[in-house]
Amino acid sequence: MNKPLLGKFRKPQTGEKILGPMQRISPEMQRFRDDEVVDYCIVGVGAAGGVLSQRLAKAGFKVVGLEAGPFWDTERDWVSDEKGSHELYWNDLRITGGNNPLTLGNNNSGKGVGGGSVHWAAFAPRFHPSDFRVYSEDGVGADWPISYDDLKPYYELLEREIPVAGPAYFPWGDPHGYPYGPHPMGGVGDILVKGCTKLGIRSCAGGPVAILSGSHGNRPHCIYRGFCLQGCKVGAKASTLITHVPEALQYGAEIRDRSMVFRVSMDKNNRTNGVFYYDRDGREHFQRAKAVIVSGYAIETPRLLLNSACHGHENGLANSSGTVGKYLMAQAGNVVAGRFESLVRLYKAPPAHALSEEFYETDPKRGFARGFAIQTVGPLPIAFAKQMMAAKGSWGWGMRRIMMDYNHWATLGVLGEILPWPDNRVELDHRKDQWGIPVAKVTFNLYDNDNKLIEFGKNKVEEIMWAAGAQEVSQEKRFAHLVGAARMGSDPDSSVVDKYGRTHDVSNLFVCDGSIMPTQGSANPGLTIQALAARTADYLISQGDTIFTSEKREMTPPPIRYQLSPEGTFVHGVPRLSFAR
Amino acid sequence: MSKTEQNKDRWIIDEKTGQPIPPMEQPGYYPGYSTLSQKAYWDATTRELIEKRVDHPPSIRFFSSEELPVMRAVADRLVPQDDRVEHRKIPIVNHIDERLAKEELEGYVYEDMPVDSEAYKMGLKAIEAMAQELYSSSFATLDPIRQDLILKSIHDAKPMAAQDAWKHLSVSRFWALILGDCLIAYYSHPWAWDEIGFGGPAYPRPYMRLEGGQPEPWEKPERRYEWRQPLTSISDVQEEMGGGDHPRQGGTH
Repeated sequence: MNKPLLGKFRKPQTGEKILGPMQRISPEMQRFRDDEVVDYCIVGVGAAGGVLSQRLAKAGFKVVGLEAGPFWDTERDWVSDEKGSHELYWNDLRITGGNNPLTLGNNNSGKGVGGGSVHWAAFAPRFHPSDFRVYSEDGVGADWPISYDDLKPYYELLEREIPVAGPAYFPWGDPHGYPYGPHPMGGVGDILVKGCTKLGIRSCAGGPVAILSGSHGNRPHCIYRGFCLQGCKVGAKASTLITHVPEALQYGAEIRDRSMVFRVSMDKNNRTNGVFYYDRDGREHFQRAKAVIVSGYAIETPRLLLNSACHGHENGLANSSGTVGKYLMAQAGNVVAGRFESLVRLYKAPPAHALSEEFYETDPKRGFARGFAIQTVGPLPIAFAKQMMAAKGSWGWGMRRIMMDYNHWATLGVLGEILPWPDNRVELDHRKDQWGIPVAKVTFNLYDNDNKLIEFGKNKVEEIMWAAGAQEVSQEKRFAHLVGAARMGSDPDSSVVDKYGRTHDVSNLFVCDGSIMPTQGSANPGLTIQALAARTADYLISQGDTIFTSEKREMTPPPIRYQLSPEGTFVHGVPRLSFAR
Repeated sequence: MSKTEQNKDRWIIDEKTGQPIPPMEQPGYYPGYSTLSQKAYWDATTRELIEKRVDHPPSIRFFSSEELPVMRAVADRLVPQDDRVEHRKIPIVNHIDERLAKEELEGYVYEDMPVDSEAYKMGLKAIEAMAQELYSSSFATLDPIRQDLILKSIHDAKPMAAQDAWKHLSVSRFWALILGDCLIAYYSHPWAWDEIGFGGPAYPRPYMRLEGGQPEPWEKPERRYEWRQPLTSISDVQEEMGGGDHPRQGGTH
């Protein structure tokens, strides 16, 4: 046998976590006692929870992050293998239904420190300014209680912190550039650019994607192996596990893993005083806290609030509006596959490396509101076989034949905006999970505008695939991402939280994750979730102890705290192309 | 006549000569390509996992002695391996059995479906009932073409018999479940990667030729052969599944 590359596997020291080949942390972790009252208890250490815990700890607060899944060691726990990455996903029981039931699990739900940011494809486009006023502009969906300009500084901060690689000139939405250079193209990106160019559609190559094109701190650059959705062992793809959590620990936060929170506790004065959770051995605990932030994402967040119903909150905590669990959104994620005469090898390079947002905005000529993006996707063999099962009905020898041609296929994804509808929702089911906690029941239906948008988007991407020279084109219906179900708004009668993520009903209870989004645009939600978390952190820091002691709600925007970026990540440098707007 | 020769009607057929092609060590268009030959360049955790998958397939714990032959026969038609020599067949059923025995979920259950282990028991029972009703024989001992006909009707979401047995199970969701699991088991195996020319694990040693479908130095160029399905099979067609929406996909975007 050939000699192993990089020599023999080095046995790590006790307690040491390996986060990619260059980063090792020995988290001499703070361990708060259960009866010790921490300042902030964060439920769920994913995209939002990671950023929140880093910032709040750095600002001097006592922070505990309770995470249902494990604290990963990327070298020993993760594999360069599709099937073997099963543990990265939220695999526990959930019920899915409605006319267009969502596939959950590995499609959109993470578990473990880093959450979904561990298995995202890492496309990191910003939302467009129009996304924040969909109701005003199109009379559908909802307006956000904040504008693009409120979030823009945080987009710029996060694009440096995680950081995002992409073109120097990104022409859509609020035009801007990226701090790290674009990635080299893979076969699928070439096809996207070729097809778009033939049809006169603008496209952009090499990003924006939160994957390093040059090494950054103690993280190496991308090696183009294509296993992004299986967790990046290289450490080149951003996840809060490697971008923010290490500094959270350094500043004294505790990340308590394998801790499943099942109820937010309330005191007699309508304030929360902590959370109940089960530890890794199934023992029940109560963690006291002066304030609680729920960051469990679009299914676990509403599930926890509904499971926390108590006296005074009979329909679920923070649910006086009746909107907890409602307005759940997934994006249309139809995948168009094209077979080419020459070899493509779609598995090489990050799945996310070229896109077009040319159809993002409403065009009245199309007969529906809002739009969609077109993005490269790179399914590994199992995912591709399942796509062929759904797209072409292949099985038996037909499946074997298609798969022998795996290297001849390219895949492009529609990423379409489905509007927020009250009936698309998360409720509690009578069935229970392994802890005995009632599970979430997710109901999803498409409506007229959604169906028209999907039909148009799918046809457009098929057109691009043909224009690129495909000999055969086929498409699979599917959904991508999850947001909504605890939306933010100015009106306490129609939303769950205010513009800083504070619940209208309980002044020291916050929600901060994808679930607070009122609409979702056609942009992958990861960057926006992290930008919202950085903004909420700035607000909480500016409020100091007021959050813990008073019912006062300050609504003036907080100052932006640039010095809170993880060490070595903040410099000026996200190109602002203000002339273009 | 040798045992192999007896199964000649199950062999795929050479499109040019019209003659059956005997089973191969490695079907597919990349002769001589071996992902396992590169395992020294994989990280230790991945290498251990893949070696275990190849060398120590899990033993059967979930399927009963009545269910097992039916499940094996179904898997043999859903992902046929008659072009592979016996010792290079991928043990699909063992890997499915492992998931069901461990009660591993995939993160969701459809509101109109029981949990996966229960769905398997009901579905296999229904398939066996179809074979009994139509041919008064066990599914496992039917001719491959009759097995294919039964499965094709499930693919179409119009089971051709045993309607009662399907009353409490969504036919199209069961199809997506069992076929999806067979695909996971087959295409997670390095022998299948060799067959389709997939690069396999690539850390810490990376890819370096991203564009134009170029092979890495350790990969092999494509050498195609033309073939058609065996005379005893009807599955080499691409026809949409019945029953409307049928997702069960992994992530993409």
